[in-house]
Amino acid sequence: MIPFLALFAALGASVLSEAEAGTILPYSSAAACTDGPAYYAFELVSTKNIPGTGLATGTVEASVTAASPFSVHLSADGSYAYELHVTLDRMRVPGEGQLVAWVTTPDIDQIVRMSALDEHLQATGQVDWNKYIVVITLEPSDDPGQEIWTGPIVMRGMSRSGMMHTMVGHGALQQENCAAFGYGN
Amino acid sequence: MISLYRTGTLLAVLALVALPGASSAQHEMHGMTMGGGWRMVPMDMSMPMLPGIDGAVPVVGPFMPGMGMDPAMLPEARPSEVVQLADMDTLDISVSMVRRTISGQEMIMFGYNGQYPGPLIQVPKDATIMVRVTNEIQMPTTIHWHGVRIDNRFDGVPGVTQDPIERGESFTYEVNVPDAGMYWYHPHVREDVQQDLGLFGNLLVTSPDPDYYGPAHREEVFVLDDILMDEQGALPWGDESPTHALMGRFGNVMMVNGETDYRLHAKRGEVVRFYLTNVANSRTFNVTFGGAKVKVVASDVSRFEREQWVGSVVIAPAERYVVDVRFDRPGEILIANTVQAINHFRGEFYPQVDTLSIVTVSDEAAEPDVSAAFDTLREHDDVVADIEAFRPHFGRNPDHELVTTVKVQGLHQSIVLSMEADTLYVPPMEWNDAMPMMNWLSTAEEVTWILEDVATGAQNGDIDWEFKVGDVVKIRVHNTPDSFHPMNHPIHVHGQRFLVLSIDGVENQNLVWKDTAIVPVGSTMDMLVEMSNPGEWMIHCHIAEHLHAGMMFGFTVTPPAP
Ligand SMILES: [Cu+2]
Repeated sequence: MIPFLALFAALGASVLSEAEAGTILPYSSAAACTDGPAYYAFELVSTKNIPGTGLATGTVEASVTAASPFSVHLSADGSYAYELHVTLDRMRVPGEGQLVAWVTTPDIDQIVRMSALDEHLQATGQVDWNKYIVVITLEPSDDPGQEIWTGPIVMRGMSRSGMMHTMVGHGALQQENCAAFGYGN
Repeated sequence: MISLYRTGTLLAVLALVALPGASSAQHEMHGMTMGGGWRMVPMDMSMPMLPGIDGAVPVVGPFMPGMGMDPAMLPEARPSEVVQLADMDTLDISVSMVRRTISGQEMIMFGYNGQYPGPLIQVPKDATIMVRVTNEIQMPTTIHWHGVRIDNRFDGVPGVTQDPIERGESFTYEVNVPDAGMYWYHPHVREDVQQDLGLFGNLLVTSPDPDYYGPAHREEVFVLDDILMDEQGALPWGDESPTHALMGRFGNVMMVNGETDYRLHAKRGEVVRFYLTNVANSRTFNVTFGGAKVKVVASDVSRFEREQWVGSVVIAPAERYVVDVRFDRPGEILIANTVQAINHFRGEFYPQVDTLSIVTVSDEAAEPDVSAAFDTLREHDDVVADIEAFRPHFGRNPDHELVTTVKVQGLHQSIVLSMEADTLYVPPMEWNDAMPMMNWLSTAEEVTWILEDVATGAQNGDIDWEFKVGDVVKIRVHNTPDSFHPMNHPIHVHGQRFLVLSIDGVENQNLVWKDTAIVPVGSTMDMLVEMSNPGEWMIHCHIAEHLHAGMMFGFTVTPPAP
């Protein structure tokens, strides 16, 4: 586990203003990969912090059915063992640095490096968290041993499970003070 | 061709068997008694009630077995006994009321020969046995021999292969068993009630091959189940039709072989072969073995192509898995259902671990030492060779496509609104009943679960598929996330065997012959069915409440010309 303060620093990392524009990849009509049900796929949204990425789109496909003799693949604590497949599109690849895909928890208290984006702007990885955020950053180089991102966030997106509705303090059917359920207000 | 399905007879018999005894229900109730003799479903009281459904009860009446009877008048049920049968042997099974005590609550339940589970019938492969079933309960019943490629006349489907066995009547099943493995038997009349009340048992078909499985010190049969109870005993079931039609009836008490504290003892290094069967109405279990080394060996109708290490066993209703487990560490090992449950109110996951059984492992070393054999993953050449013949069909386009969905009418407005508001995320699998009140209030009167033939638009009983013996049929099942309440469905095919070729386009690298397979929400499963057994058969969801909310249809396999 990575210390929380270090993560904070990582999230606040400054934008690499020197990143030069590279080639624009053609917009592909469909992602090459079809892993996982479309329902659990989710979008990555550009931070527009890096020149050439303002119009970029991204998709994460999340399969829970691969690599198991059963219909669903679970980890030891019963969490879904997701196979993640990232595909970016419509982006001008920065001339310097390396795009890297990461996955982190909603509290950003754990980070796993998935992989560097390949020449097709794709990356793969695994995660067994209930809710998670996929983050694309621009790193100085492709370092598989890197534990935490240091470069700016280019794109990010929340897993479908992160969209689970809560009625506490937010729902139309709320009846009680959410403080009673451990929420601040 | 006989086709009783089209007339709706099947639905009428299966789903609309009305249960007696409802009217006297309120006399037995106290404490949390609600309208019409219902008791409030147990739920996490930190969850606020939905507005408008406070005090609401299901639109059907409550059913309890032996209502008004003194349980003391009934024989106490006994644990399951092993019955070894040879070819052409006969077994008598009586279906009767028994007295059971679960979690300190004495109640009236059902039993096969007064046992829980029913007798463990052990027969050699290719034998035929006669099972004479006499019905002594107050509802009609049948026995379905789940997974067995049985003679169609004895498949146990009322209105299709036989008339239901009325109280006081008998029916003799001729059970032929062409495939080695673990099977089970249960009623095909109101499973949501009869199975939940204890009508299930295992049928172990033994192979003549002494090397069929790897070496193990011993074998244990684990029938996994749950039951929904409060401090007065089991919650009533629906009389005219099932309650819990949306998510199925999840229990809040877990059982192995009908017991809540099933204990085992093992020696250090002992390899135990577990035969797991899930007889729950709706719950899919994720069985963990406390960190012990587990390899999965076989499932419903065959062994896997090759043994495989697993961290847990995901077992849906009606599925079976055979796993070899080695207990290396002395001490207490918890066999548990280990899942990430959902709290819908808070919009959160939370870990839920329910102990199913405690294994006390002693420091004494198990003899003989079978570690080397256990550590070796065996390849089952005969299974591979058997499946090889079907490979030319793997890449074909599907012959039939099914999509699953659900329709509701007349459901309480509060439930509809709340369900519709909460559709941004639906999990692939429902491991727990996250909406106990809404689920309880939804009955098969308001909820219709649907299998739809994509090509024709026909739904459930209107689907009419015809095949010939020898056909190899590829069926694609898509569990659409775009419905009122998407949920996982364990799809069961009667009388045949099938392979799960792929899920979501990912090819299955370790095949096994199945009779039931779970399709998670959003997923697409490609099944290859070998139509080897002539007759009138069913395909249905094995969540008992979904089945009785319509999720079934029939298909015909015609014999080869003489
Ligand atoms: Cu179902």
